[in-house]
Amino acid sequence: MVSRRGFIAGALAAGTVPTMTWAGLGDVLFLSAAQDSGGAYRLFGLGAAGDPAFSVPLPARGHAAAAHPTAAEAVGFARRPGNFAFVLDCTSGAVLHRLETPEGRHFYGHGAFSIDGNMLFTTENDYEAGQGVIGVWDRGAGYRRVGEFASGGVGPHQVCRVPGRETLVVANGGIETHPDSGRAKLNIPMMQPNLAYLSPGGEVLERMSLPGGMHMNSIRHIAVRGDGLVAFGMQWQGDRLQAPVLFGVHRQGAAPRLLDPTDEDHRALHGYVGSVTFSKDGREVAISSPRGGVVQVIDVAAMGVDRSVAMPDVCGIGASDAGFVLTSGDGHVARYEGDALRSVAQHDIRWDNHMVGL
Amino acid sequence: MKRLFVVLVLGLLPVSAYATDDVANDATPPTTDHAALIQAVTNKHILPRYEALAETGATLAETATQHCSGTGPALRAAWGKAFDAWIGVSHLRFGPSETDNRAFSLAFWPDSRGKTPKALRGLILKGDDTLLMPAAFAVQSIAVQGYYAMEYLLYDPEFATLGAEGFRCDLVKAMAGNIALVTAAIRDDWVNGYAQTLITAGAEGNARYQTQAEGVQELFKALGTGLQVTSDMRLQRPLGTLDRPRPDRAEARLSGRSVRHVILSVEALDELAGLLSTGAPSLAGQFHDGFGYVREAALALDDPTFATVSDPGKRLNIETLQAVLEDLREIAAIELGAHLGVVAGFNALDGD
Repeated sequence: MVSRRGFIAGALAAGTVPTMTWAGLGDVLFLSAAQDSGGAYRLFGLGAAGDPAFSVPLPARGHAAAAHPTAAEAVGFARRPGNFAFVLDCTSGAVLHRLETPEGRHFYGHGAFSIDGNMLFTTENDYEAGQGVIGVWDRGAGYRRVGEFASGGVGPHQVCRVPGRETLVVANGGIETHPDSGRAKLNIPMMQPNLAYLSPGGEVLERMSLPGGMHMNSIRHIAVRGDGLVAFGMQWQGDRLQAPVLFGVHRQGAAPRLLDPTDEDHRALHGYVGSVTFSKDGREVAISSPRGGVVQVIDVAAMGVDRSVAMPDVCGIGASDAGFVLTSGDGHVARYEGDALRSVAQHDIRWDNHMVGL
Repeated sequence: MKRLFVVLVLGLLPVSAYATDDVANDATPPTTDHAALIQAVTNKHILPRYEALAETGATLAETATQHCSGTGPALRAAWGKAFDAWIGVSHLRFGPSETDNRAFSLAFWPDSRGKTPKALRGLILKGDDTLLMPAAFAVQSIAVQGYYAMEYLLYDPEFATLGAEGFRCDLVKAMAGNIALVTAAIRDDWVNGYAQTLITAGAEGNARYQTQAEGVQELFKALGTGLQVTSDMRLQRPLGTLDRPRPDRAEARLSGRSVRHVILSVEALDELAGLLSTGAPSLAGQFHDGFGYVREAALALDDPTFATVSDPGKRLNIETLQAVLEDLREIAAIELGAHLGVVAGFNALDGD
């Protein structure tokens, strides 16, 4: 087994290549972390046919990635409580930079770029204080860390930028963890998740919390539509049968709207939403539950489940022109178009939680 | 791959012997009958333990009405027995224990931000007796309710003299009374309905458990919950890191019960794992040996509050307990999961 230090040296020795733009990129449509057949962790670039176009080794399990707005470059993050992230050239898979959290912080696994792509924002844990932090990294300075600010809550998991604006929206999941106790949750009875809107300087513009009876519903994954509508998926931390609704949408300055599912659709999620992705036209959102082995497509205007499909251990969702692309922990890549689910590829790869569209 | 028996063979701890025979489990006829398995766990593990929880809770409340001084031996003994019973069910976090946040009101732990002493201080200094009436006390912050909050009044020198003695006395009675009510409610819900719901998993009209596999999965998850809590929270939290051990995070250290809780927990998990491994004697044997080892090695530490996490020469003994529990977690997740047919997927297991 390669030591971590040796691994990093090797990865960086892959060298720097000239910056290319997405327009010059061929077939790579999505990024996804995964575990390969040998049990090692990698970050994959996926083509339209669901086949890996390239892959990069990771020192430990990855989670999600953030795509640069213009350059063919993306940042893949460690799964919490990891402390590494890699900047990749998405044409070749070459590692351009390696990020490491400062002392006392770890990544949660998601990040987002500023409009011009000069700044990267990452969700992090200030675990001694038990408070969420957004780390700020300067791409122009080789992804040097240049600052941080409060995330507006505890356990910030996913951060997105509102399209066309510099405003960041953060899903503060509300759950306190500390790397000393692994992934154990330390504050479930007291947790207070929220959706926070932040300026790029860290000013809290707005905080949305759900009613008190839902305080154990961890707001974890989000997606933002072109007009600023935020879709959020939740993970219930109490008894599964007592789970309240697990999905909603919110627009800054307005009240949240929650999904109105049938009992059957609600139950199928097993109290857990793993990924949230808007359709290309923005009229629908797909949510996945690996625990329930199901993907549900929600009509945003009606806030009802329009259709759903069973797929074991499904979690990653990408949007395509014809519908959605799904990945599962047992190696499947499938197209979900209309009511039809078609497997397009299967590899001896465990696709991890998220597929990030490029 | 690191394995339990590698650790055992290394002989890192001065434990003279641990059980290698497996009498209890070999005596059970092999079966993969899910219905019988659920019935056995419910009747032999869950119901007796929740019955004990309610009985010790009632005794605690009775004792408190007669002896409310925090330093009194009768009250401390009754509290200790009630707390023991709680640790013995603290992995069974589903159904009646989760209704109305009952389990959290019995056990607000870990208290990573020190909310309990802060809230108790506020309550005592305010001295408002009306907040101690049963209905009013039940809706106070869960940080001032339950076994862990009571520990401060029984064992923390600061609280022995804080505020008015009469108020502290009434507060002890209110805490004990609330524990009695909540533990009785959990037991009653189990006896009067939930046990039947679980046992009839997969039956027509069972909305909670639509298949027998879902019932088995609930019990399988309880074993994982217990292993995680004891490994990550009871042991890893005080261990901290080599550079920064955290002895003050040990569970119930004021009363010197930290190691006792690990032992009570592994005894309960050993019982559950044994029942879940019915029909797989070698698997049951691995669990029984592993839990037995942790129990004996914990006793051999001669360090009731894990204070030696700060002693570089002795810290390894506690790390070893934790390593064995991690091995048992892996055996549970992979081998027991396969035996029961409830292996969770890569993403389903992730929780992110």
